[in-house]
Amino acid sequence: MVIEVKNITKNFGGISALKDVSFSINKGEIFGLIGPNGAGKTTMFNMITNIYEPTSGEIIFQGENITGIKPYKITEKGICRTYQNIRLFSQMSTLHNVMVGGHSQSHSGVFSSVFRTKAQRKEEQLLIERSEELLELVGLLEHKDTIAENLAYGQQRRLEIARALASNPSLLLLDEPAAGMNEKETDSLYDLIKTVQSRGITVLIIEHDMPLVMKLCDRITVLNFGEKLAEGTPEEIQNNEAVIEAYLGKEEDEVDA
Amino acid sequence: MLGEILNTYYLQIGSFILINIMLAISVYVPLSSGQLSLGSAGFMGVGAYTSALLTIHFDLPIVIGIIAGALAASALGVIVGIPSLRLSGVYLAIATLGLGEVIRVIFVNWDSLTRGSVGLTGIPQLGREILEFARGVGFEPAMIGIKNNQFVFLSIFLVLLVLVIVILWFVVRQQNSRVGRALSSINLDEKAAESMGINITYYKVISFTQGAFFAGLAGALFAHVIGYISPADFSYHRAVEVLIFTVFGGSEVIIGSVFGAFFLTLMPEVLRFVSEFRYIIYGILLVVLMAVRPQGILDANLLKKIKFKRSKGGIR
Repeated sequence: MVIEVKNITKNFGGISALKDVSFSINKGEIFGLIGPNGAGKTTMFNMITNIYEPTSGEIIFQGENITGIKPYKITEKGICRTYQNIRLFSQMSTLHNVMVGGHSQSHSGVFSSVFRTKAQRKEEQLLIERSEELLELVGLLEHKDTIAENLAYGQQRRLEIARALASNPSLLLLDEPAAGMNEKETDSLYDLIKTVQSRGITVLIIEHDMPLVMKLCDRITVLNFGEKLAEGTPEEIQNNEAVIEAYLGKEEDEVDA
Repeated sequence: MLGEILNTYYLQIGSFILINIMLAISVYVPLSSGQLSLGSAGFMGVGAYTSALLTIHFDLPIVIGIIAGALAASALGVIVGIPSLRLSGVYLAIATLGLGEVIRVIFVNWDSLTRGSVGLTGIPQLGREILEFARGVGFEPAMIGIKNNQFVFLSIFLVLLVLVIVILWFVVRQQNSRVGRALSSINLDEKAAESMGINITYYKVISFTQGAFFAGLAGALFAHVIGYISPADFSYHRAVEVLIFTVFGGSEVIIGSVFGAFFLTLMPEVLRFVSEFRYIIYGILLVVLMAVRPQGILDANLLKKIKFKRSKGGIR
């Protein structure tokens, strides 16, 4: 088991965004987190990366309780994420974005950076090579010197994935990676996530594109109004009555809203 | 020959420009990680008083005094930095401005040590000390055909020039490295930077402290160049003046700070012939600039264009 989410509750003021949610993900799985808008999916990501601390409950990552430790330390331990609304370093080049992602994988401090010690130069070279390799993986190598904000929308999403991969995570969290993508882009995203999986990285994905989720995920957890509604394989979820009701019972919460 | 060229007035202006460049960099460095600090006048004051008092009362060499002054300012930077870095934007600016005022008021009221608003006189002068040292090893300014006071001003200018070059080298090297990328990512998106594994508190304290160090260094040098300091030299007017250097020149690139300090220190001198109108011109210039070019004169785009033109010219 890579990660175990145990009885997580999160209250914002008087409102419960998450109520006693538990699930666990096995190593190498692609695990889906779905549910109507406002179900608490992104809040769950914020719990795991500790952008917000849970009101109660625990998160166990690779046997270690990581609840409440600083977000940058969680990244160092091997969890990295992308954002629903893209959060790249917009004024930096594509390559530098990925190199920032590799921050936790490198160590040079002020002194070695200013004096360009041998170890620093070696590390920097290695970081560039690794970053370029990741850019090639997501198909952006030819744009490595482009300023991130000048990339096309789909490219920005792929860059965010490359940046997250640069931290060498064991668990990658993807928050609606297919949002705003056309069919062709979604297809290549599918291939990309499968490649990530084949490298031994566990993936937790929030996504509204149901065909993609069903094709991609090994297991899925459905959230509704902050509570866990169901969990199972894509077939089980598709035939679960509670899930069907949650999605179809209210027209304003269209499946691919 | 050299004696005819060297104008002590120009050398003095040159020295002020160099000190102001250091101060502008002390604003630029924290700003490059997204922190607007208006504490530079305060840190400058700490550097100046520390070095002045140590050299006056304990007869320490100027070099030791200056280093101690810069370190005292950076120590204060760390102490103040850690709690105040929870603040951002305007709130941090106001907190650091307040810090500067607190420091100034301490200088005014700690009479027994700082001699209050009268200030400290008789601070050992850097140029004279260098002259004495040169004479000690058997060198006389007359040997290269210049007068003693020309030598004094020239040596100050050269010392400052070397220091500014070293600081620029330091900052540019740091910028193009893992540390610099971390600082810049914090500036662009703090939350995203943190989720990329960057310890933002650590890097913010580092850049804030470096700013305090450069300001303290500039203050200590200022004390030993002028030989006289008073709390009025480190008032909030100074803090704002220094901020304007950076904002006017362009706060996105370090060369902007250099240019801003250079241009805005030189301009009032050049405009001396229009006497009182020069500060009106200064003011109008700032208003116009902020209206048409809020990012400052120099920015990354402009520099790219200049470089591009040059490289095109090179091919021909």
